[in-house]
Amino acid sequence: MLPNSQARAPTTRVTSQSVVPRDITEKFTQAASRLKTGQLVKDEYFTLFEAVGALEIMDPKMDSGYLGPEEDEQTLDDDYDVLRDLTPEQVVGIMDELLCHEMAWHMGHPLSQTLFTSLYLDKLLWPVPRIFEDTHFGRGRVSGEETGSELVHIVLRAYCLGLVKCCDFVHTRVTAEFFYEEEDFSTQLYNRTLLSHFDNGLFCNLLDRAIFWIDDQPAIDETLRSAIKARLEFRLKFLLGLQQDINIIQTRSVDHFEACLSLLPSMQQSSRAGQPVSEAFSWKIQRRLASTVPPRPMVTISLVDALAHIKRLFHDGIHLNQVLDYQGPHNLRVAIWTLLSRKPQPSVYIRSLTQTIIMNKSIILGAIPVKQFLYDELGALVLPSSILLEASLDETEMPSDPRFQIAQLMDGFVRRFSQPFVDTFRSACLNRCRIRRTVCHTIVDWDNLQMEAEDLDEQLRVLSGEPPLELPNGDTTYAYPLSSWTYHQKLIQFRLILQLGFELSIYAPEELPGMYWYLSHICSTHLGHIDRIRTFIVSAAQRSRLSSAKRAQLRKSFLLFDRLTTQIVAIDAFAISLHALYVLLSRHKILPTASSPQAYSNDKFRYELRMKPFLSITLPELVPYDEYHREATLQGDSDEIVLERATKAIGEARKAWEATLANGPFLEDSDGEKLAAPALAEDWTRDVKDTMRACIGASIAIESVKKAILARGSPPTQGTETPPLNLKANIPEAGEKGRWHNWWAVPQVLQVQAQSKAKN
Amino acid sequence: MAEDASLSLHYSRYTPAHEDCYVHSMRQLISKDLSEPYSIYVYRYFLYQWGDLCFMAFNNHPQTPNSDSAPPMVGVVVSKLEPHRGGPLRGYIAMLAVSEEYRGKGIATKLVRMAIDAMVERGADEIALETEITNTAAIKLYERLGFLRSKRLHRYYLNGNSAYRLVLHLKEGVGSIRSLDPYGPPPEHIPAAHPHPHPPPPLPVLYENGG
Repeated sequence: MLPNSQARAPTTRVTSQSVVPRDITEKFTQAASRLKTGQLVKDEYFTLFEAVGALEIMDPKMDSGYLGPEEDEQTLDDDYDVLRDLTPEQVVGIMDELLCHEMAWHMGHPLSQTLFTSLYLDKLLWPVPRIFEDTHFGRGRVSGEETGSELVHIVLRAYCLGLVKCCDFVHTRVTAEFFYEEEDFSTQLYNRTLLSHFDNGLFCNLLDRAIFWIDDQPAIDETLRSAIKARLEFRLKFLLGLQQDINIIQTRSVDHFEACLSLLPSMQQSSRAGQPVSEAFSWKIQRRLASTVPPRPMVTISLVDALAHIKRLFHDGIHLNQVLDYQGPHNLRVAIWTLLSRKPQPSVYIRSLTQTIIMNKSIILGAIPVKQFLYDELGALVLPSSILLEASLDETEMPSDPRFQIAQLMDGFVRRFSQPFVDTFRSACLNRCRIRRTVCHTIVDWDNLQMEAEDLDEQLRVLSGEPPLELPNGDTTYAYPLSSWTYHQKLIQFRLILQLGFELSIYAPEELPGMYWYLSHICSTHLGHIDRIRTFIVSAAQRSRLSSAKRAQLRKSFLLFDRLTTQIVAIDAFAISLHALYVLLSRHKILPTASSPQAYSNDKFRYELRMKPFLSITLPELVPYDEYHREATLQGDSDEIVLERATKAIGEARKAWEATLANGPFLEDSDGEKLAAPALAEDWTRDVKDTMRACIGASIAIESVKKAILARGSPPTQGTETPPLNLKANIPEAGEKGRWHNWWAVPQVLQVQAQSKAKN
Repeated sequence: MAEDASLSLHYSRYTPAHEDCYVHSMRQLISKDLSEPYSIYVYRYFLYQWGDLCFMAFNNHPQTPNSDSAPPMVGVVVSKLEPHRGGPLRGYIAMLAVSEEYRGKGIATKLVRMAIDAMVERGADEIALETEITNTAAIKLYERLGFLRSKRLHRYYLNGNSAYRLVLHLKEGVGSIRSLDPYGPPPEHIPAAHPHPHPPPPLPVLYENGG
């Protein structure tokens, strides 16, 4: 289905002072009368974009000024009086409904369908107030007239204004970062402001005053008084927490969000005391908003959902504090990806905040210059004892000095590579669909970067006088540290594309054997590559006498290699096992297939389509279809061999995941200290344990297949038909019950009644 | 998907001659079925340029042989075909709808097959479309015909639902056909070296990064 959404984004029309309007009505009518119905007049610039963006006059779905004859609404305006007296119950009800709309906006719905349906907010925000004193409900009336009851003027006004300011902070943060309009967030303000021109202190004062006032109202029932007070306090703390924003890097304080969290249970409980005032919200306001969007229905989410959403926002915001201690790129990568892979994914505000915290003005976590960040990564992985990273520390200014030239080349490397490298962290902040799409594109950039790095490596090794390494076959080769590191990054991205494919339910069931084969293929390539890097580091270390500091760094590198190796082995073994299992299911026609024999495409076309992100990649080379087909189907291997392979691999996988779990998420720093990030460590542990559950699930499935194959007995003599296995495979989708881990599509294999005739 | 004996379905290609009644029934059918609202311009955009890639299903029930009114339209597919970013000739299925009481009779499959066959005849390299991830019937239909999910699109529709992009390659080597750099300037700013008289600019609504 063709989407409308992207065409609805606001467009700016260029208007010039010198344009003189001319009435063309008559000419137009005349010309139009000569057209037949259905005849289209368009220039070459009339695109689908325009067609979709066009509005149809007199169509109730599109024309915001149209009132149908049968519509019971008589007018485009509402007659709700925002100065009317409200009971405390009604105030609570309105506050809660506003919170629901606010969270719906956080979730990505436009203001027009959420908060801007509130007649109270409408009064405060339009026309745009120029001075803060204008922000009251009685504006626009003759002076001297009242501003509403105290409950309305003092309490509801403070709450509304505080809420608008909260939205202002969220809007500012999100729009300062990379996000996708309408996918993640709707930034449209319809020519209104969220009062960004007023200092936050004014809002806090109003909320303080309202809290003080409500405390002093013995006439209001105790339950309602504390319900209102909790909401005002919540609003104040939320406002202060949002005001802190990226300053968390300095303050390291999560007090405000903690305070908000502690108020949520009482807000939930007292919501029952509230009384909704549905007339205080109207979708008709949309007709007055500057927008090309036809009026859309109001978005309603329940208070339970709203509170759950904001609770996660506070939890995630508090735990963000745990990524701030810098302990090297590896630990930061684990922390960031763990936090942002939470399900449900952290809200767009948290994701935007994280983006800024990762890097702001070329500084990582508000403390580490990006060059050091990149050097730390290179030092840990490919250059633990190399002159290349030290050259820039020298004060050499002799252009002929090799160290000077090395420093220059390395500076060029930093300039070229630091942004793409930091982006591998920041991409975690995108929505999950976009992460995969983005990596599908950046992987091509990294392929080009690898070529550039190779070029640099060749220049650098001449300058540093790197001796070649002799291979067992007599050939010689060099370390190529920078391009080796680049390749390592690229292989991580390959794996991510494949694994996110499982998470996003991209693959058809018949693709599963092949995709798990491909995953294991990438893993074994990666393992080989890590071995190569290790070999060169060992030989470089053997060549020179190392200081104790350098030896410590070397040990740290080997520890990191061990970690990486263990984890990739774990993924590899699990993938090998699932590959073998799916081969069996496919051979015995137990694996469901999405495509029919009458399809327009064949396996080869589909393989090419699936490999599209990798088609232009030079390294690792694309596996030709025939080879892929042979490998993916384990051609020539008997069921017994395939079974054996599945069983052995799942055993290895379970051991390797155990080892991964025992290693824990973070590497120790040079002082032997581990990153203190308990909440993230817990998430990470849960994730590994879920993977282990998936391994167990796979073991069970393999056993079921094994039993069925054994029960059927030895293969019948040639010419007779093989009896069916009488098994059924069910593959739970990501997010469904029975799916232990999003990245591992493990089938449930069940026995079915023997059928006289196998259904194909 | 057996044909129902009580039905007398017939399929036909859109012709501008009956635009009045066709477009009206089409819109009724589609607005009932699909969550996105489309203006008349969207229909005209497709029908004017690719009317021959639009197919309709009618039920000529013997009990309604009313000669002066057209038989009720029970299904429709609307599509287009043009080079994608100056690269492969890409078909795009924009809308597919079958009236509720006529579902499960293979009408949608038949309509899509007619559209694909017409595109193949015109040399299409590939076909793409999007569908809501909750629309399992549609996903199944297209997957049976050989489409693969190439990517998932977060909150793609106005109602906040996500979509899958489904793609079908009709030839070998389609993936390697070079298209224009998606990050480069839009084609209208590139000196025209097109076999096409009016190279259509890229479709921002499809909003993809070349994938």
